[in-house]
This record gives sequence, C-alpha cells and structure tokens, in this order.
Amino acid sequence: MFELFTNMMREEWRVHSTLFGSLSFALYPVMIFVIAFMGSFVLPFFAAGIPPGYPSIIIHAIFLLLGIMVGGFGLMGREVMNRRFGQASLLAYSARSLPITERHIFVVFVIKDTVYYLILCVLPFVFGFTVASPFLHIPLALPLLLFLTLTLAFLTGLALIFFLSTVYARSKHVFILLCICGILAGTTLYLSHSLTPVSLFPPLQLFYLFSWETLLVACAVILIPSVIAAMLFTTEFADTTRKYKPLFTSLARRLSFFPYPPLATKDLLDLERSGSFVGQVLFSFLIPLCLLWFLLSILTRILPAVSILLVFSILTGVIAAMMYTWLTMLDTFNTYSCLPISVPTLLSGKISSFTALQLIPAIFIAIVSIAAGGLAYLVPALVICLSVSFYTLGVTCWLTGLSPNVLIYDAKVLVSWFVLVVIALFAIIVLIVINPFYTLASSALFLPAWGFVKLSYAKWNTREQPGF
Amino acid sequence: MAPVIEARALTKMYGDTIAVDHVTLSVEKGALFGLLGPNGSGKTTMIKVLTGQTRQSAGSATVLGIDVEHDPIGVREHVGIIPEQETPPSFLTATEYLDFVGAIRKIPDVQKKADGWFDLLEFDDQRDVLCKDLSRGTRQKLMFTQAFLHRPSLALIDEPLINFDPIMQRKVKDFLIGYVKEGNTIFISTHILDIAEEICSEFAILNRGTLLFTGTVAELKARDQHLDDFFLSLVRADRHV
Ligand SMILES: Nc1ncnc2c1ncn2[C@@H]1O[C@H](COP(=O)(O)OP(=O)(O)OP(=O)(O)O)[C@@H](O)[C@H]1O
Ligand SMILES: [Mg+2]
Repeated sequence: MFELFTNMMREEWRVHSTLFGSLSFALYPVMIFVIAFMGSFVLPFFAAGIPPGYPSIIIHAIFLLLGIMVGGFGLMGREVMNRRFGQASLLAYSARSLPITERHIFVVFVIKDTVYYLILCVLPFVFGFTVASPFLHIPLALPLLLFLTLTLAFLTGLALIFFLSTVYARSKHVFILLCICGILAGTTLYLSHSLTPVSLFPPLQLFYLFSWETLLVACAVILIPSVIAAMLFTTEFADTTRKYKPLFTSLARRLSFFPYPPLATKDLLDLERSGSFVGQVLFSFLIPLCLLWFLLSILTRILPAVSILLVFSILTGVIAAMMYTWLTMLDTFNTYSCLPISVPTLLSGKISSFTALQLIPAIFIAIVSIAAGGLAYLVPALVICLSVSFYTLGVTCWLTGLSPNVLIYDAKVLVSWFVLVVIALFAIIVLIVINPFYTLASSALFLPAWGFVKLSYAKWNTREQPGF
Repeated sequence: MAPVIEARALTKMYGDTIAVDHVTLSVEKGALFGLLGPNGSGKTTMIKVLTGQTRQSAGSATVLGIDVEHDPIGVREHVGIIPEQETPPSFLTATEYLDFVGAIRKIPDVQKKADGWFDLLEFDDQRDVLCKDLSRGTRQKLMFTQAFLHRPSLALIDEPLINFDPIMQRKVKDFLIGYVKEGNTIFISTHILDIAEEICSEFAILNRGTLLFTGTVAELKARDQHLDDFFLSLVRADRHV
C-alpha cells in the first residue's frame, strides 16, 4: 500500500513538474506561504473593526471550503481509474493490472490527493502565518494549534463531501433523504439558537479550547464518513457498455443560436452523460455556497444585511467562474487536433457554453436575494455576480487556456490569477462600503473580461496544446 | 505539377531532443507513400508537423500547396488525418461523433456517407455505443471513417493497421490501394515493413530524425532486394556512425 502511495505521489509530482518545470511548480507552495505571510499583517487592520473571534471563524471556514471543493472523489468513479490527464497513463490506471483491488487503488488515490493538497496548500499557509506571528506578537503556540485545527477543518470538509458524493454516486434517493435530514437539522438548530455554529464544528471548538475529547470527536467526524465512503465506493458501473440513440444532430439544430452549435452540443452531451452535471452543480456550486451563506449570516451582527448579500454575490461569481473547468475537464485537445478547428474557436465555444451555464448562478443569486428580503438589491446582486464571474473567466482563459485544471498549479499562473481577481473583488468591496448601488459600476468588469478573452485567443493560438 | 507534400529542411525540436532533423522530402499526387523508421525515429512528429498539429522549429513545408505554418487550419480542412492515438470524444456515440465531424467539416448527408463505412468496416452494431466504451480496434475504425468522410485528396495516417485483425487489414489495404488509384494521395507511417512493401509505391526511411533514404518499392524489387533487409542494413549502418 505504501509503495503504491509513494509511487503515485512521485508521479503526481512529475506530471506537474514536467509540465511547468520543477522550479515553477515548487514555487507553488512558496507563493501560498507568501500570501499567508503578507495576509497576516493585514489581519490587525481588520481585527480593529471586527469582534474578536471572527478572523478565526473566517480562516477555518476558508479551509473547510477548500476541503469541500476538492472532496468530490465519489463523483469521479471510474474517471479516477481511467484518465485524469488525458492519455497520460496514470499509475491509478495501470495499477489495474497489478494484483490489488480497485477499492484499494481508489483509497490510495484519495489519500494521495489529500496529502498532496495538505502539502501544497494547508502546510504553506500555516507556515506563513507562523513566520509572521512573532512580528504580530502572537504566541507561537497559536500557529501550532492553528496548524492542527486548520488541517482538521480542511479534512472535515473533504470527508463530508467525500461521503456525500459517494452516497450520491450510489443512490440518488438516499442522497436526497440525507440532504433533507441535514437541512431540517440545520434549520432547527439555527432557529433554536441554543447552539452556536462553533459548537457544531469541532475543529473550531478545539481552536478555542483544546481538549483531548474534542480532538477525538474532531477526528471521528473525519474518519467515520471517510471509512463509510471508502466502503461504499464501487466500480461496478464501469462494466457496462453504454448505448444512446443518436441525439447530436437534433440537439445541434435546437442549439443553433450558439456561435458554434456542434461545440455547444458536444459540451452539453459530455456534461450530461459523464454524470458530472448534476453532481458538479451540487458539489462544486450549491453545497459550498449554501455553507458560505450560513457562515456569512453569522456576520449579521457586525455587517448590514445588504453588504452580506452583495459580498455573497461576489463569492458566488468567483465560484460560478469555476464552471469553466467543468467544461474543459472532460475534453482533451487531442480530440480536435485532426479537425480543421482552431484554438480560438474552441475557446470561444467553451465560453459560449459557459455563458449558458451562468443561468445557474443568476437564478441562484436571484433566489437568495429574494429569500434574504433584499429584493431592492436584486439587480446589484445579479450584476456583481455575473460581472465577477465573467471577469474571472477572462482571467482564467488568458492564464490557463483550455487546461485550467492543470495549469493553475503553476506558481506564476496562480499568483497572476490571484492578483488579478483580488484587485477586482477589492474594488467591488470598496463600492459596497460606499453605497451598495454604486456596485452597478462593477458591470464595467465586462470590458477587461472581453479584453482578456481577446488576449487569450492570441496567446493560445500560437502555443502548442498539451495533450490532456 | 507541384508535389502534394513538400518539406524543405523541416526540423522539429522538443527541448534538446531533435525529433525531426532537416528532412527534405516530396510526395507526388497519386502516391501511396510510406514513412518507415524504428520507434522514436520521428514519424509521428513528421505527420504532426505536416498537418499543422505542431509547429516546426525550422524549415518549411507545404501540403496541397498550403503552407502548414501559416495556415494549419486550411491544411486540416483539406486533408484527412488519423492520429497515432485514436481519441474520439469520449461521451459521444460513434454515430454522433461522425455527426460532430460532419458538422465541423460541413459535410452534407453525413449519415448516408457514414453508413457505407459502418458496413465496410463491419461495426454497424457499435454505432450507438459511447466512444469511451468502444474497443481499440473499433475506435480505430471510427477514426478511419472520420478521416475519409469528406473524401480528401490527401490522407495522412499514423500506423494505419496496427489495431486491426487480419481480415480488417486486408480490407483496409484494398481500400487504400483503390483510393490512390482514383487519383488521391496517401501518406502512411509504419514500422511494419511487410505492409509497406505490399501496398506502398514509394517510401522513405527515417532514423533518429534524419532521412536515410527515399525511393520506390519498384526500384527495390528490380534489384531483388527485400525491404526488411534493406531497412535493417541502413538503420544498423546509421547506428554505427
Ligand atoms: N510531445 C513531445 N514532447 C517531447 N518529446 C517528444 C514529444 N513527442 C515526441 N517526442 C520525442 O521525439 C522523438 C520522435 O518521436 P515520434 O513520436 O515522432 O517517433 P515515432 O517514429 O512516431 O515512434 P513510434 O514508432 O514509436 O511511434 C522521440 O525521441 C520522442 O521522445
Ligand atoms: Mg509514432
């Protein structure tokens, strides 16, 4: 088991480091370190306006979210075993010919991914904070504790989604039942006011007051769902030959309002048939955002409701921009390399499919605005969400072309992405503070978005497309 | 008349590796041209450069009179290509994939044309299966169909027969020979010398990116030489340089 694990780690490292050169890839954690280090110095400024305790809630929430965003292993099913990087034959795939079970490989795969994210994101972040702490007169024990609790927060999110996505893959009915139970329990707790969110989240509780019992509970909350998920995991469905009546031509005719109907049709069929559409909407969009809404609503005591709604619109926009990766994930450029189709055409095809998908965040944010009683702010909320989403898309296209899932691991790319996106978000936050209706000006972001897309056409047209 | 394919000192580097090293070569209309060479000699790279899938590092090439560097899409519009790794889009069925290709290439009546291929290559029963779930050989059949759907005057095929059973190999060989007789041109790469000797009219031998020889199979036959002996002696001699 351990040998397979080390080989998978080594392979993961090689896949990434050969793509960007070892240095650029090794710099990735360094960049996160620097971001955390610098961020620590900003903290006191915020702390002045925020009641004590809130920064720690926010940081834990971020790591919980990170775990949630990467934990959808159950959705991958046979895709894990098949190919994550196009034709690059992965160990997870080739290990099939070894005398070990698929479940075994899958478990190793999940552990590998988890460790990988820990090393790449969690560790450098905490380390950055640790190094900054002496300058901020924070006792050194705090970062150490933080390391433990942030790791636990990350793993909690990961385990939760790992569990839910596996249940989802096994039985939609059980999944819906679980969700209803979860929502009911959540509302009851929320209405009864007897429990604070902190007491529901062991890692945070541990952060406030360390005790061995709490640590045990925190670990159990991670381990139990993970073990159940690993046991539920199945590759049974991998053995069927799937057949469909031809849909392409009729669908393409109905999608003729798209600039490139065949590309849009292919995107739609890919999303639908890979089973990733509903799964992605749930696990990469709705669940993280609902959780985020819950966390933000804790802040009502310090922020006006309008600001919270609009900040939430910003975050929804950023997460909505990730839909671009749903579209690029299922494709490799190899597919198109023998056809007379250029990279700019492919990019604009993906962008138009992306535009269609933006209906989801638009409807979502409209519902949230109305539910939150902010009907007056429906238009600003929508404008913010969509302009942030398209702006982020433009940046992503320009920096990563058709392979965002892979190229984002390049340190230079990550930092550029981060800087470009944060500048825009910061500008909108300033507008929110001045006057919520000024945020309508965020529609100006469509202009740079358009510019980045144009730049991306020129940039990726001349680059060699990697075969993943 | 201008050659169908013309490469002048064509060179492709991958970092420090020279995959194709100053290859000068021309292929005339109506040829069934075989590019031969051991593993890693640059055959696939050569086809990729000639079809504008990757840019050359130096030199130039025209295909059907179109410069591959300046108008790669134009080249791909007119030729048919079967890549080394057959990768039709995974979540379309075989039929739908051909519809997709037809839509991109703007081919009228795709399905009628496809039907002939489903019959010829005997995979009609697989037409509604997702490409992901097709066998390797069937995927190769699909890629064959895709490349000839628009009846290109030039087709470039990387290892055409490698995944086919003997019956299918026979059919495909006959098809290729017939296709060339109609005045079209075919460029194949292979390291299976028997096939080259059997069907090709002309051939070139590539080793470590350099062109060792170009000539016709007829010449070789006149000299009573077998292609495999000739190939081995050339490549071995080159290895000792
Ligand atoms: N994308 C790539 N990146 C780096 N090196 C490459 C790439 N593609 C090919 N090469 C290198 O270029 C050389 C030629 O490879 P190519 O695939 O053209 O050979 P080939 O003649 O098709 O071999 P085979 O008969 O095994 O298919 C090899 O040394 C190979 O390692
Ligand atoms: Mg090859």
